[in-house]
Amino acid sequence: VTSQLLSLARHAASNLRRRAALGLRPVTAPVVVFIPVGFALGPGGIGLLSHGALGYLDVVVSIALATLGVFIGLAAGAEARHVRRLFAASTAEALVTVGCVFGATLFLLRTWNVPLAVPHGVVALTLGICAAASAAPHVEGGVDRVREIAARVADLDDILPIVLGGIVVAVASAAGPPLTGAAITVLLGLAVALSGWLLFERRQDEAERGLFVLGSITLLGGAAAFLGLSPILTGLCAGWLWVFAPGRTNFVVARELHKVQHPLVVLLLITAGASLEYSTAGFWLLGPYVAFRLTGKLIGGWTASRIAADIAPSDLGAYLVPPGVIGIAFALNISQVAPAVSGPLLFAVALGAVASEILAMAVTPTPER
Amino acid sequence: MHRLLALALTVAIGWFVVAQASPTSPAPRSTALALGFALIAAALTGELLERMRLPRVTGYLLFGMICGPYVGNIITRSMARDLQFINGLAVVLIAFIAGLEMNYARLRPRMRAMAQMGTVTIVLMYVALFGALWVAWPLLGMDPELDGLQRLSVIALLTTVVASFSPTVTLALIAESRASGPLTELTLALVIFADLILILMFTLVMQLVRYAFGGTQDVGVFVSLSWEIFGSFAFGAAVGAIFALYLRHVGKEIPVALIAVCAAMAGAGRQLHLEPLLAALAAGLVVENIATAGGEMLKEAVERSALPVLVVFFAAAGAALQLDALATIGVVAVALSAVRMLAIWATTRAGAAYARIDRETGSLVWMGLVSQAGVTLGLVLIVAAEFPTWGITVQTLVVALIALHQLIGPVLFRAALVRAGEIPTPEPAPAAP
Repeated sequence: VTSQLLSLARHAASNLRRRAALGLRPVTAPVVVFIPVGFALGPGGIGLLSHGALGYLDVVVSIALATLGVFIGLAAGAEARHVRRLFAASTAEALVTVGCVFGATLFLLRTWNVPLAVPHGVVALTLGICAAASAAPHVEGGVDRVREIAARVADLDDILPIVLGGIVVAVASAAGPPLTGAAITVLLGLAVALSGWLLFERRQDEAERGLFVLGSITLLGGAAAFLGLSPILTGLCAGWLWVFAPGRTNFVVARELHKVQHPLVVLLLITAGASLEYSTAGFWLLGPYVAFRLTGKLIGGWTASRIAADIAPSDLGAYLVPPGVIGIAFALNISQVAPAVSGPLLFAVALGAVASEILAMAVTPTPER
Repeated sequence: MHRLLALALTVAIGWFVVAQASPTSPAPRSTALALGFALIAAALTGELLERMRLPRVTGYLLFGMICGPYVGNIITRSMARDLQFINGLAVVLIAFIAGLEMNYARLRPRMRAMAQMGTVTIVLMYVALFGALWVAWPLLGMDPELDGLQRLSVIALLTTVVASFSPTVTLALIAESRASGPLTELTLALVIFADLILILMFTLVMQLVRYAFGGTQDVGVFVSLSWEIFGSFAFGAAVGAIFALYLRHVGKEIPVALIAVCAAMAGAGRQLHLEPLLAALAAGLVVENIATAGGEMLKEAVERSALPVLVVFFAAAGAALQLDALATIGVVAVALSAVRMLAIWATTRAGAAYARIDRETGSLVWMGLVSQAGVTLGLVLIVAAEFPTWGITVQTLVVALIALHQLIGPVLFRAALVRAGEIPTPEPAPAAP
């Protein structure tokens, strides 16, 4: 047993060195650190973050969700403008991942007959959407072409799950017809973006510009949360419009949001960790979710590399295994609009993200090509 | 034109979203919506008013009032209540900024005169207002059966509340207009001094009222009073020292750290029964006078953090202004407000003359003391809860006074600062190449 453990440790160390040589993160992904920290601080841990405190943090969660949406909208808008084929490849990759996780989970849930408070199809689709997002590997401009492509795919493959997620959130909140809800989400995002464009574009004073950027993001998150819609989708639409709007609005917004990005992501993850409640259903969902996501990403990555064969590596999926925060953000959004039934989902997605980040150490792309 | 369009669009979004919410939906999440809406629309209203040479703070208040539950109802009653969560944070941040403005070395030559003027002004004001309220008693709509010690104690309580100033509004106006000079410093010193006296007097007078109405008296009143005043200063100084160490040795993410420190002080203050305003003032004083590391970074952080907090704080105050109270008791409130202003004008002149404060500053300082806000409201809520029979009348009267003074006070103070030449003129924008 000892020699097997040593061998495992040597393998892990070798993988870490290999990932470091590739410029990929070793184990310091925020998800790995802050989800457990959140759980330790939450009602299930020492109770510093009580249910009341989590209620207050709900405001921050809505704002953080919109911020993430804006970041993706800004990045994806800039990318999609130049590389349409990569956009198609990324969307195909996301679609394959959603399909794999949805199909496999639905089959499993029906076979096991897992007792859940919502229809199995909705749970499977939600897990599929959460699984489709990936974290972009860090890229220094022009250092590694392959990694740069992977980063672009990781940015672009978030769009489909966010759009699908917008519809699922509208369904989950039961606030009206889902497609009407999704349409209102898009319109709200565009309207706030237009108002923001009118405000930021000509402003000189840094503090005032910061105020209006913060106000716009808060309004994006707040309006969507108030109506039981998806703040991530309103943010995505706004970010997208800011890229295409005349002037430098996208740069202004990106610069202002970078100042609050880290605290917001940390708060989001800590809130997700603190909101975790053990459930048998969540526990049963966790293992399959991680396995199906990995499979989906590898198949999806391969599909994407066929579509953009001249630029994307064939082991693209291996770069896309780290899930980042979007999946967790979406699960939190679902838990905002349907708190009574979302416990197992959040449990599986948040812990699944931690597991996937750790798993990403083992699934290493080929260093030389 | 762009700003007007943006304001119209933001108001339309707010109206649309509120109108879309189903009345049957269980408690929608309105805090973030109210925050975002207030941040943009109130800030724009403040800008528009500034162009009319009025304070931005008045614009934020007017926005809250117009969009609030009593007029436009775009900020509904529950949203207005949600926005109040920022109050604790705002008071602490504003007081912290005030502490940063108080440099001991700079103020030292004038401290004696300020203390003399403060003492004379406040003593005379209490006497004048007590006399006026005693004479006007039949007109105040109070319980006519109160007499003797009961009447005396209620009038003493009403005097204490009516005589209070608003450190928050004064500090906020100084912060947003970036005013500096003798009038700014004198007004700041007076409102803070008056706030200390208010805490002291209110605690003592409440004991008198309890005695007069046969209630139980708190024997540990002086202990709790000492804890509230000295404990607050000590706690604030300790927090200030820790923050100074952070600035010196870490110096990163200062705006976030500043907001976190202020939120912690507001929360801990409530838990420990401390006065958050005094604690934050002490923290600011320590950072400014003992540990001056990271001055520029801190100034930038303060400017960045203060603006959104001020905007939301005053918009929330505007939305929460109980205009129905003003409508109910309007004539009496207007008359009492006029008497209060007259008292402030006369007693500050006397105080300035006694302390030999220069003539121009002495003649303008009354304009900085008219505002009343959250602290006063908090006190009358305590009174109304403990003595509902006549406390509700006191509450209605004082709430109407606050509504008046919140609108008039900032306009007067800004006019005084402009007349004293203490508001810097904005630098012209660089010409386009």
